[in-house]
Amino acid sequence: MAVSTIIGIDIGGTFTDFVSYDSATGRIENWKNLTTPAEPIAGVMEGLGRMDNLGAVTKARLGTTIATNALLTRRGAKVAYVTTKGFRDVPFIQRGDRRSHYDITWIKTRPLVARADCHEVEERLTAKGEVWTPLDEGAVRELAAKIRADGSIEAVAICTLFSYIDPRHEQRIRDILAAELPGMPISISYDVLPKWKEYDRASTTIADAYLKPIVSENFRKMQARFAEVGVGDKVGVIKSNGGEATLAAAADAPVQMTLSGPTGAVVATRVMSELTGIRNLVVFDMGGTSTDCSTVVDSKEHVTTNFEIEWGIPIQIPMIDIHTIGAGGGSIAWIDKGGMLRMGPQSAGADPGPACYGRGGQDATVTDANVVLGRISPGNFLGGKMRLDADAAHAAVARVAQKLGMEVDACAHAMVQIANNNMLGALRAVLLQRGLDPRDFTLVASGGAGPVHVCDLMDIAGIPQALVPNYPGQFSAFGFIMTDARVDRHRTVQQISKFFDGDRATKAMTELVEGAIEELKSQGYTQRIELHRSIEARYMGQNHELELSFPGNDFTEATIADMWDRFHQEHQARFGFSIPGETIETVNLKVVAVAVADKPKMRELPLTQGAPRATGTRRVRYADGWHEVPVYDRETLAQNDRIAGPAVIEESASVTILQPAQTLAVDRLGNLIISA
Amino acid sequence: MKFSANGFYIESYSKCPNCGVLMYENSAEDRAKQVRHEGKTYCSQRCVDWTLDREARRATQAG
Amino acid sequence: MDFVTMNILDSAMVSICREMGITLMKTSYSTIFNEALDFTCGLTDMKGDMIAVADYCPAQIGGMPLLVKSCLKEISLAELEEGDIILHNDPYRGGLHTPEHTFFKPIFVDGEIMGFAVAIGHIAEVGGMAPGGFCGEATEIFQEGIRIPPVKIVKGGKDNIEVWKLLLANVRTPRVNYGDLKALIAAVDLGEKQMRGIYQKYGKEKIRETVADLLLYSERRMRAELEAIPDGIYTFHDHLESDGIDAERHYRIQVEVHKKGGSFIVDYHGSSPQAAGPINATLGVATSAAYNAVLHMTDPSIPRNSGCFRPIEVMAPPGSIVNVDFPAPSVGGNTETHPRIVGTILGAMAKALPDRVMAAEGATHCNFVFGGVDADTGEYFACYDLEAVGWGGRAFADGNDAVDSINGNCRITPVEVYETRFPWLIESLAFNTDSCGAGEYRGGVGYTKQMLCLNDVITCSQMTDRHLLAPWGLDGGTEGGCGATLVKKSGRNDWQTMREAYGKPSTSRYSNVAIRKGDRVQLVTPGGGGYGDPAKRDPEAVARDLREGYISAAAAAKHYGHQEG
Repeated sequence: MAVSTIIGIDIGGTFTDFVSYDSATGRIENWKNLTTPAEPIAGVMEGLGRMDNLGAVTKARLGTTIATNALLTRRGAKVAYVTTKGFRDVPFIQRGDRRSHYDITWIKTRPLVARADCHEVEERLTAKGEVWTPLDEGAVRELAAKIRADGSIEAVAICTLFSYIDPRHEQRIRDILAAELPGMPISISYDVLPKWKEYDRASTTIADAYLKPIVSENFRKMQARFAEVGVGDKVGVIKSNGGEATLAAAADAPVQMTLSGPTGAVVATRVMSELTGIRNLVVFDMGGTSTDCSTVVDSKEHVTTNFEIEWGIPIQIPMIDIHTIGAGGGSIAWIDKGGMLRMGPQSAGADPGPACYGRGGQDATVTDANVVLGRISPGNFLGGKMRLDADAAHAAVARVAQKLGMEVDACAHAMVQIANNNMLGALRAVLLQRGLDPRDFTLVASGGAGPVHVCDLMDIAGIPQALVPNYPGQFSAFGFIMTDARVDRHRTVQQISKFFDGDRATKAMTELVEGAIEELKSQGYTQRIELHRSIEARYMGQNHELELSFPGNDFTEATIADMWDRFHQEHQARFGFSIPGETIETVNLKVVAVAVADKPKMRELPLTQGAPRATGTRRVRYADGWHEVPVYDRETLAQNDRIAGPAVIEESASVTILQPAQTLAVDRLGNLIISA
Repeated sequence: MKFSANGFYIESYSKCPNCGVLMYENSAEDRAKQVRHEGKTYCSQRCVDWTLDREARRATQAG
Repeated sequence: MDFVTMNILDSAMVSICREMGITLMKTSYSTIFNEALDFTCGLTDMKGDMIAVADYCPAQIGGMPLLVKSCLKEISLAELEEGDIILHNDPYRGGLHTPEHTFFKPIFVDGEIMGFAVAIGHIAEVGGMAPGGFCGEATEIFQEGIRIPPVKIVKGGKDNIEVWKLLLANVRTPRVNYGDLKALIAAVDLGEKQMRGIYQKYGKEKIRETVADLLLYSERRMRAELEAIPDGIYTFHDHLESDGIDAERHYRIQVEVHKKGGSFIVDYHGSSPQAAGPINATLGVATSAAYNAVLHMTDPSIPRNSGCFRPIEVMAPPGSIVNVDFPAPSVGGNTETHPRIVGTILGAMAKALPDRVMAAEGATHCNFVFGGVDADTGEYFACYDLEAVGWGGRAFADGNDAVDSINGNCRITPVEVYETRFPWLIESLAFNTDSCGAGEYRGGVGYTKQMLCLNDVITCSQMTDRHLLAPWGLDGGTEGGCGATLVKKSGRNDWQTMREAYGKPSTSRYSNVAIRKGDRVQLVTPGGGGYGDPAKRDPEAVARDLREGYISAAAAAKHYGHQEG
């Protein structure tokens, strides 16, 4: 194989992270610089400027928050929404529920479209996909004239009832509007999300149209800048499913970019699963203000279609299932009206940051508590690049301790425990609430703060093993160098076991597979393509489905019978009961197509030469009080080195705190494997 | 609330005329707190007092 | 108090309740469960005090403590064995109405009962005289479906087959009911199993002590909130319209709130005697409604358990509209009377807490229920479904449009799910222009759902409200729009009320109307009342409402003096 370099770039809120892999030397390097929020590509270019040999780059993969930010700050296009006669209020009625009980101050979430820009056309399909009312094409032309006359509309979203069964009306409306309004970006629900439930599908389609102008514009600029440095044709962006797409393809379906950056840590976790042979992993990526949790089960990421960008605005394209909570190193301690200590969700952010940053922050944060407890060394934060003010941390925690009538170190310990407990909630959400048993998992720590808390969390969550990867602070960007181009396609094809039409299912599955392969090939991903097919099914009458893998395109008597058997087994395993003989309903067919890319080969560490040597000791407070513990430098550790707790393992951008009863082993790749 | 001798069904319901709570014949706790007042059984003295207060208050308002 | 353990235990228990709810949502059969989420999951201690609950349906959250406690008056702890599950739905024994089925399972630790895992769910079809449970013309509980005293549906981990058979023989949709009941059992099984793990981890003594502290903590927080409200006696009243039997009579809900220090007592004496028709509330409903009202006016971050309910009491006269006596009907009490009671309490407190109340919301779930035999499958179908209403304007913001009434937080069923399940074609779902009460902050709008019948016949019943008496405004705001139910029979050109079309006494509460193929039904939901003087409304907001079609030019001119152009 020729010499090549693969780069992963993660544009985060504060830093843009870079990871590169050089196939000639097998070296992985990482670096970072400040993000340039106004023009994120500038920060990317600055970082790329530090590379000697851009000519050797064969692939640059980029995680970006352009789509996320446009949605969160509502800076998208002025969208016209077109739907079936009688239903223009669906985006406003939504589902009729409230964000929470008992909150009389709540204001219902507004959709990403104005009511005055919602239009109806005469047409209707039935629940069986039959035409009830034919499409009034004249009305569509009149609507085009109205939009043209209005002059302010920047994109169009089309979603008609039951189009997931038959898209003919949506496609015809699109064709007419495209002809009448040349250059107008148009999204139709059948392309965006051909699944039932009209509000969810409408909301997702509106979001796609809302993002089209801004994402296209940004990606066009980026493409040009990458071209200037000679890597224009090597760039891919990371979609919400953790897979790569070309900039052009991503701009055509921008809703796929809703969650780009955070997926990297999950992809990296899946890669860890493949490299280490550990099949079930749960990753928590802990930053300053938030923590993302996600699972890899049987070496596969969990993909969901239940995402909401804000409460009440579902975006239901297939994306990696990441549970985010507002708890991180910067979470602030406070005492509620009943006298209970709480942590966050208010955060000190990066500026002024925790009290120990010495930038004037007065509030006691999780990071300050970690400093008080000796878990974070003031002299070795960010590899010694930033010196922490231990006295300020102590003073801030002391203020909280005084209100509670506690000793300072006991208070700091309580702060860490409560922060850990908040993160435990997120772990429960991705494990127990999905029927997964923590005892079957390994906990992966990423983000700068992850390794500081990983040993506490495995303890309280009942997870028997943990893994601290190399460069935990740049784990997402590392994931990007390891990922593939990927397409997820779903479609609702409802049938019941009593009258199952195998030919209809075979035809739909074949179309899905061919469509997914075509989408990859049209972007130039012509290498080996792997396919994963699955079916979502439920007992007739239920409304939530279980996913079953399916072996091929063809629904034969044998594969169908096997599918029913496996459904009953899966229901028993997941929910503790099954209903033998009950009618089963298949709802969605799903295909994942992956164009398998060449992967970096990880270098192995040299073998251990006996016991690792500590660089010194320091005092750390655990639940049972202060211990004098040995401190190790991660750089000096070798394959198969073993360390018994209590201990501290320092590295340039993080620190791992081993509890007294725990042990740590270094694997061949340098991962720290911690056992309870 | 009174159950049939065999316990299979309810024979009669009895509620406090003030607060409306069910009073169970088989509950020693309920029986201990009960008070008779003007021919009615109240769940507790507090409910008798509350009733008297209400009557007094509403008489003043009406007057 | 060990606040750290308390914080950890509280979030672990709420998380267990949430896991129970997810199981229920994912495995149940009726749309009222899996789309609308009309259920609640919680944990209690051995006395029946609620120690944790997940935020599903508010009506059931407030009802849970009384439900479990009433059952424990009949069944002693000594009669319970490991693996038993109790089922109960009796409105006269702490229940809410017949559709609300409560399951609870003792949590045994080393042979001792520590508490219960509880799941309450709305079962769509319960037998009785009308499919779908809401019989608008019932005059006795026996017409409202099967009544279940506390019985062991599971005994020592094994199905009690006799109970199952008796139960499923008395409903129209046994297959669906079986699925829903199994889902409720799976939920309490999960809650019991997870909670046992918690007991093993922390030890019985530590949990007992921490839970007692947690309830005290919630109580203390609630009392502190109440102490901040000026002491006084606050009164207000409202009327429910027609009970479905007597079309002309209205029924008074009277509240007299005694706020003194950290205590909040709601005296309902002065409310109407119980109605002949099914709009009566049970004591459980009247209690739950008072809790619900107080929770809306206080800090929502107080951990929800029996502790925060301790400072709140009700005085509900027996045999009245707020405390039904055997054998009067009560199915509408839980859905219609509950939100009206909450609204009446909020109305009373408006003088003391103008910033924490709202004008009247629609206060109905519409409850258009139906059943029949599907021409395609030959299977009997039954549906309980609900609709959203406009909410009241507030001192700081407009009322929300199209939101489920205050005692529910249920979701409406998508058109594409509805039509796949039931033989209707929905022709439109559209906001009702001008249904929002005018005010400095306007009420939210209701909407109209128009449906075409595709089956030979569908038997329909309804239990709604606000066809005659509109949601009131506050502080100078005007009334919101009334709701309506209209039918256009095949071959006719006019819309009629149920009274006009079928001779029913009431337009809003009726049962067993035969809607035939080609007939159309319109469900119009009410809008919310306005808050504050309309003259003070921001002209920009008036112009926006007009542009966006929430109000007509005529209404803009009438209420706000807005002139076109």
